[in-house]
Amino acid sequence: MFSLAFQLPEGLTPNLELLLPEFIVAGTALGAILPELILPAGRRAAATAWTCFAGLVCAFIVVVAMGPSAELALAVKDGDLLVSGLRMDAFSVFCRALITGGGALLVLISMAFTNRLDRGHGEFYAILLFSLLGVMLVSGVSDLLSLFVCLELVTIMAYVLAAFRRNDLRSTEAGLKYLVVGAVSTALLLLGIGLIYGWTGSLSLDAISAKVWASAAEGAVPPGLLLLGTALLFCGLFFKVGGVPFHVWIPDVYQGAPSPVTAFLVTASKSAGVILLLRMAQALFVRPEIMDSTVHNPLAQQWVLILGVVACITLLFGVLGAMPQRGIKRMLAYSSIGHAGYLLMGLAAIAAEGGRGAASGQYGTEALLYYLMAYFVTSIVAFGVIIVVGAASNRVEGGAHGDRAYEGLWSRSPFLAVALCLALLSLAGVPPMSGFFAKFLILRATIDKGLYALAFIGAGAVVVSLYFYLLWIKSMYFKAPPPGAPSGADFKIPASTRVVLWAGMAAMVIMGVWMPPFYDWAHQAAASLTSLAGR
Amino acid sequence: MNPLLLTILIPAAATLALFFVDASAKRAIRSIATVATALLLVISIGMFVGFHAEPDTWTANAGAGDGAHGYKYGFEASWIEDMGLAFRLGVDGMGLAMVLLTALIIFAGVMVSYSVEKRVKEYYICLLALVTGVFGVFTSLDLFFYYFFYELAVIPMFLLIGVWGSTTRTVDQNYATMKLVLLLTAGAVMALVGLISVWSEVGTFNMVLIEEHEFSTAFQMAWFPVIFLGFAALVPMWPLHSWSPAGHAAAPAAVSMLHAGVLMKLGAFGILRIACTYFPEAATEYLPYLALLCCMNIVYGGLVAISQRDMKLIIGYSSSSHMGYVLLGVASATMIGVEGAVFLMFAHGIMTALTFALIGWFYDQTHTRMLDDLGGLMKVMPFAGTCFIIASMASAGLPGFANFASELMVIIGAWESNLWLAIPAILAIWGLVITGVYLLRAVKDAWFGEMPERWSKLRDQRTLAERTPFVMLTAVLLLFGFWPQPMVSMVEQGVKPLVTRLDAAKEQVGKAVKRVVPANDQPAREIRAVGEER
Repeated sequence: MFSLAFQLPEGLTPNLELLLPEFIVAGTALGAILPELILPAGRRAAATAWTCFAGLVCAFIVVVAMGPSAELALAVKDGDLLVSGLRMDAFSVFCRALITGGGALLVLISMAFTNRLDRGHGEFYAILLFSLLGVMLVSGVSDLLSLFVCLELVTIMAYVLAAFRRNDLRSTEAGLKYLVVGAVSTALLLLGIGLIYGWTGSLSLDAISAKVWASAAEGAVPPGLLLLGTALLFCGLFFKVGGVPFHVWIPDVYQGAPSPVTAFLVTASKSAGVILLLRMAQALFVRPEIMDSTVHNPLAQQWVLILGVVACITLLFGVLGAMPQRGIKRMLAYSSIGHAGYLLMGLAAIAAEGGRGAASGQYGTEALLYYLMAYFVTSIVAFGVIIVVGAASNRVEGGAHGDRAYEGLWSRSPFLAVALCLALLSLAGVPPMSGFFAKFLILRATIDKGLYALAFIGAGAVVVSLYFYLLWIKSMYFKAPPPGAPSGADFKIPASTRVVLWAGMAAMVIMGVWMPPFYDWAHQAAASLTSLAGR
Repeated sequence: MNPLLLTILIPAAATLALFFVDASAKRAIRSIATVATALLLVISIGMFVGFHAEPDTWTANAGAGDGAHGYKYGFEASWIEDMGLAFRLGVDGMGLAMVLLTALIIFAGVMVSYSVEKRVKEYYICLLALVTGVFGVFTSLDLFFYYFFYELAVIPMFLLIGVWGSTTRTVDQNYATMKLVLLLTAGAVMALVGLISVWSEVGTFNMVLIEEHEFSTAFQMAWFPVIFLGFAALVPMWPLHSWSPAGHAAAPAAVSMLHAGVLMKLGAFGILRIACTYFPEAATEYLPYLALLCCMNIVYGGLVAISQRDMKLIIGYSSSSHMGYVLLGVASATMIGVEGAVFLMFAHGIMTALTFALIGWFYDQTHTRMLDDLGGLMKVMPFAGTCFIIASMASAGLPGFANFASELMVIIGAWESNLWLAIPAILAIWGLVITGVYLLRAVKDAWFGEMPERWSKLRDQRTLAERTPFVMLTAVLLLFGFWPQPMVSMVEQGVKPLVTRLDAAKEQVGKAVKRVVPANDQPAREIRAVGEER
């Protein structure tokens, strides 16, 4: 790897090598516009997509080559707002590997969609890559200002993507709704940052953490200002992950946005929120170097309750709302709210740990990371199928049968049916699929911290969610195809999608059966986050 | 290679292999399934014989203390070390009895499934995946994998019943399969919360280590009901039973066989292996109440069976009635009662599998199972009829069948346990009369009497391949009826540590009931003598 060092103010020499993957992705995003300019119309789509795929794969390789040893490169002195703010630790390496690897798969499954576009391939992929870049940067934030900037990079790109089919009423509606709700929550986020800054006098997460624990050590009740500030900040992040009450945009946006964009929102965009929630939880709730002390963090104690209640409501809203849905994207939208509930359960477990004084938040953190990993793979498989089926039913009957296109899918395309069936089972959390172990880890984190009520609700939600996922499996396997639905020959599965589906199915099963390597990655990444926090 | 590992790897490998076989090559698909299950049967019988060839080695390696189990064929592959999670296998006598039961039933099930013509490939994929899970549960010595396999066994049922099952006037298959999967999963996740809290207390998933851990009384009292109810849904204990008869009735023959023969035993097995073994104090507190629920199982299940006209529903309710005897044996917490319960799990599994296979045989041809439509079938299918009558007699507890020996043990166990349980014991005896009523009526209405003209073309089992599964199951019933010793002594090895714990717990709680016979294998020998006289 090349060495790119340059002088920063105050004599610091951060190692910019660690940002190489970001440079690659940014460069690829700019390069993605080129084929649009120079190639004939017929070949633009494929060329653009493969360029982006190659760029993301390169970035992925670079990230993986960094390994878990990459540590603490760009963290600079507290208070220096311009250069501090990014910390490329092993946690961030894990997240960036997830985003680049998952992003590459996302590009592959998007091809079945972009092949049908007349124009705008360059824009689509460039915006997608910039948004992925935002998520990569999010994984390393270590102060509130960079948190805001990186998050906005993700979100603003996602507004554009959601409204990408601007002639389609639903897509436009999706973009607009997303924008309105997003803008409100961004405002709340900023206000929260302001309030927190007002209390701590610093934007650095480390300084905030030190201040919170110093106040806890004195036995002081956290001031209302801090509580309000963190609440507003979390509201902004709940918007990203889909926590109640900031979930309202999800069903309409997921349904209206083009399927590859929905896949992006479900995976990468949601990851950005989860990663930030983890960073914030680490800063506010737990502090590993005082493991043995009897200092209880009163802020964390308050947040256990809030997070627990929000997790319950989110979970129940998601799984109950998904039951009556007749459109698969809408069903997955509600189910993604349910999954946000599980993620918040893990977060509540982290807060519970801090509230009790002994704390690294390890179980909760590694559970969330594993969950993200499993959810990424599973969602990409599910949306790989949805994109192909959607394209086929559009071609055949103009989407008239959109929601019934899955009936009897078994007899028309066994391959797609098996892939979607396994993905749904994994989402439901059934062994031997990856989703099972993810939910298992979440339950373990909550039960280990004594949050039994939450654990029982989470376990019960598995049953409810199994019901509506099984409804779709039933529709695919038990029913006969409706008249006029696309027949087997209408499903044109591009080679790229086929590869992703095979790899995804294998990955889901392997991650559910032979989980040690994946668990170890999540474990190490979590350990790096939990041991670095407060440094 | 470790035989237990093989019992999991063989069906798993066969499942995977079937994915890559062309769907139209039905012969090849059936051959793969038959060979795989035949291998499983050979391995299981080998282990069974191995137990009796050198019984000493089974008790010798019982390590620390009185309550320690002697597990054989141990296998361990490290999985996630810092969580105390590893792929651990091993069986005791109780587990081995269940493994043998599963192997017998799946082999018979695959053979009677030759009549399945629809989506053959997917059918066997689901069936073998299901069996992988069942073997996994009976042989796992790691709580994580115990749950893993437990849930793995439930999900294929959804497709098996939904796609290959039957909708009749009495049962809708879509409804039945959804209800079955959801109720079983609800039970399973409830148990899962309990299992994880056990982990959180002990710090390992190793079931042998957990057995040695002494849980505080408060912990036991809090978590026994959770884990117990989770497994009881699968038994199925009244009032959690309603998934079961509907599921039986809607399922295709082989699935009913596995479902009634093996899946229901997973629940009772979990209660014995986990709930009662880990929480003996709580078990002695709660078990008398359980005995009341058993009465409901036995009597209510039997009475509902009387009012049914659908053959499969009769056997379905009869199964939940018979599982009441198993629970009663568990509730007695005596050596002979618990032994009888496990033995009954085996005997009932074989008997009910045989019955469902026979109902499947004529249902494939008649497309009705209603007693009012049938009649005089004995004239056209004497072989099937004979087998059915044998199975019904076994079910009604006629001496000479394994069911009689085991039910007698259960009732004796309940009787001698304490005064409380004398009432359920008496009810259980009357339960046998109820069984006689609905089974004799089923025999009379279906197999004897006037035969409608349209059934004159029905086919009996003629070829060797067709008769093998029926002959095999009947032979097993008779074998262990006349000679229960090998099964009872094997089961005894498995339940002895459990009963020792329960006895110790009783004394500790200060509720020790004065026994006529101390808790050793004395009563078991007596009953063996009873069984042998027949």
